[in-house]
Amino acid sequence: MAAVKEDAGGRGGGFEGEMEVEAYRRLFPLPYYERHLLESVRPDARPLSSARDTSIAVGAVSSADGSALVKTGETTMLAAIKLEVMSPSQDSPDEGSLAIDFHMPPICSPTVRPGRPAELAPVLSKQLSDVISRSKMIHLKELSLVSGKAAWMAYLDIYCLNADGSLFDVALLSAVAALAHLHIPLVSLNDEGRIIAVSGDPSRKTTREVVNKDKRKLSLNSVPFSLTCLLHKDYILADPTAEEESIMDTPVTVVLDSLDCLVSLYKPGGAALALTSSLKECVSLTRRRVQELRSILDEALQSTEMDED
Amino acid sequence: MASPASYALRRHQQQRRRPLQDDNWVRSDGRGFHQCRPAFLRTGAARAASGSAYAEFGSTKVIVSVFGPRESKKAMKYSGIGRLNCNVNFATFSTATRGQESDHKDFSSMLHKALEGAVLLESFPKTTVDVFALVLESGGSDLPAVISCASLALADAGIMMYDLVASASVSCIGNSLIIDPAAEEEDCQDGSLTVAFMPSRREITQLTLTGEWSTGRIHEATELCLDACSKLGEIMRTCLKQAVSSST
Repeated sequence: MAAVKEDAGGRGGGFEGEMEVEAYRRLFPLPYYERHLLESVRPDARPLSSARDTSIAVGAVSSADGSALVKTGETTMLAAIKLEVMSPSQDSPDEGSLAIDFHMPPICSPTVRPGRPAELAPVLSKQLSDVISRSKMIHLKELSLVSGKAAWMAYLDIYCLNADGSLFDVALLSAVAALAHLHIPLVSLNDEGRIIAVSGDPSRKTTREVVNKDKRKLSLNSVPFSLTCLLHKDYILADPTAEEESIMDTPVTVVLDSLDCLVSLYKPGGAALALTSSLKECVSLTRRRVQELRSILDEALQSTEMDED
Repeated sequence: MASPASYALRRHQQQRRRPLQDDNWVRSDGRGFHQCRPAFLRTGAARAASGSAYAEFGSTKVIVSVFGPRESKKAMKYSGIGRLNCNVNFATFSTATRGQESDHKDFSSMLHKALEGAVLLESFPKTTVDVFALVLESGGSDLPAVISCASLALADAGIMMYDLVASASVSCIGNSLIIDPAAEEEDCQDGSLTVAFMPSRREITQLTLTGEWSTGRIHEATELCLDACSKLGEIMRTCLKQAVSSST
């Protein structure tokens, strides 16, 4: 293995001279990274402004009404929606409801243990529901079944299967993909005023009227996408890994929707101060990423539609 | 915001009660009584862990991560041999009606007991190996799937074991014995037998029997399970060999 010749970070003693690269990386992570940044490259061979490869598979969970498995680099999220029926509230008799929950089970990271849930999980849950409700992506009226009587309660659960940085971005993408994949089952009202499922078989004509014939899919108007960047000195690193997040601690998350409007900008503290110019740079990186993600999502949805036809 | 009370749609209005004395019914997925669902196994499903595996048996899908050997919890007493810590979780969307996220203490302890006999605990003294499982879709025979997948994940993590542990279950419905039951078959079973087995050593690490059985049926059902476990053991071995040959 190659030995590190000189100390670029200006830290540590003289024994770095003969240290192996892997050991240097673990003992002096910041100088290790800064040496890469000087060359405008990251240890995984990405340029600073590039996000990792992303793949989307919709319909991964057959027991759910809509689902998606999303992978960005090694970060993996599984989102699934289950529909239940509820009585709408008095204030909004013709609206359904969407409940979003983000889970970090112990399998996803060495830092999460059973009985000690990750602090990050409720924070991300809140952020995701804020972004999805503020972006007006979903019309809650579309989740109504019988005004004042019955509406859909959509439970969207997102599970992190492997945590390797940029959790919010991947979670949001999986949530959006699951919502786009959602198939609403045909239902009708029975004599007791309860909603029951109608079997998909058209040959068995039922006497009851189907209440949601033309509301089988949600019409998503402005879909939000996000990109997290790390600020470190003058550098901006897009789509950080878990290792990068642990070394450099100033993340900026920008959420843009598909109409190019800013939905949210989130900079939770950190050592680096965000200058206007670096924020602008983050937004323009996000804009580029949104184009990428849109085409990946469209492709994934199209290929499953062809399978289903 | 408190979520309002809601109820799930019942898609299968009435659970079909089978005529119990009739031996000529057909399984819902068209399998023979002694035919397992196809198995799909992969190691390295979650890179953050020391070892991991994903297993799919029909619509049953589980993922298992293994962490460690690492420092035991502070509250634990000193132990000269290693500890195995198991935890099984079900995703909220894994079952037909949405469940609450909760630890399955019974499954966790069963998984622990099934693996304990196979792992060389002396090889990692004073430390703990954590085995965490998440059931993504519960399509029946969940515990056998979790046990088999966990032993594959342990092997992927390089934890020393006497042998892989393969597991299978048999349901008794009326006069028929059916192997690898699906969820709806488990719902109407009269008895069940689950076996965890080390195929190369031909040793059973765990055997669970519920319901009313005659001695003859127990023998017959055990043979069925052991046969299925041996075949599954071969598939698990092939999966590990593939993982090694593709990485080099």
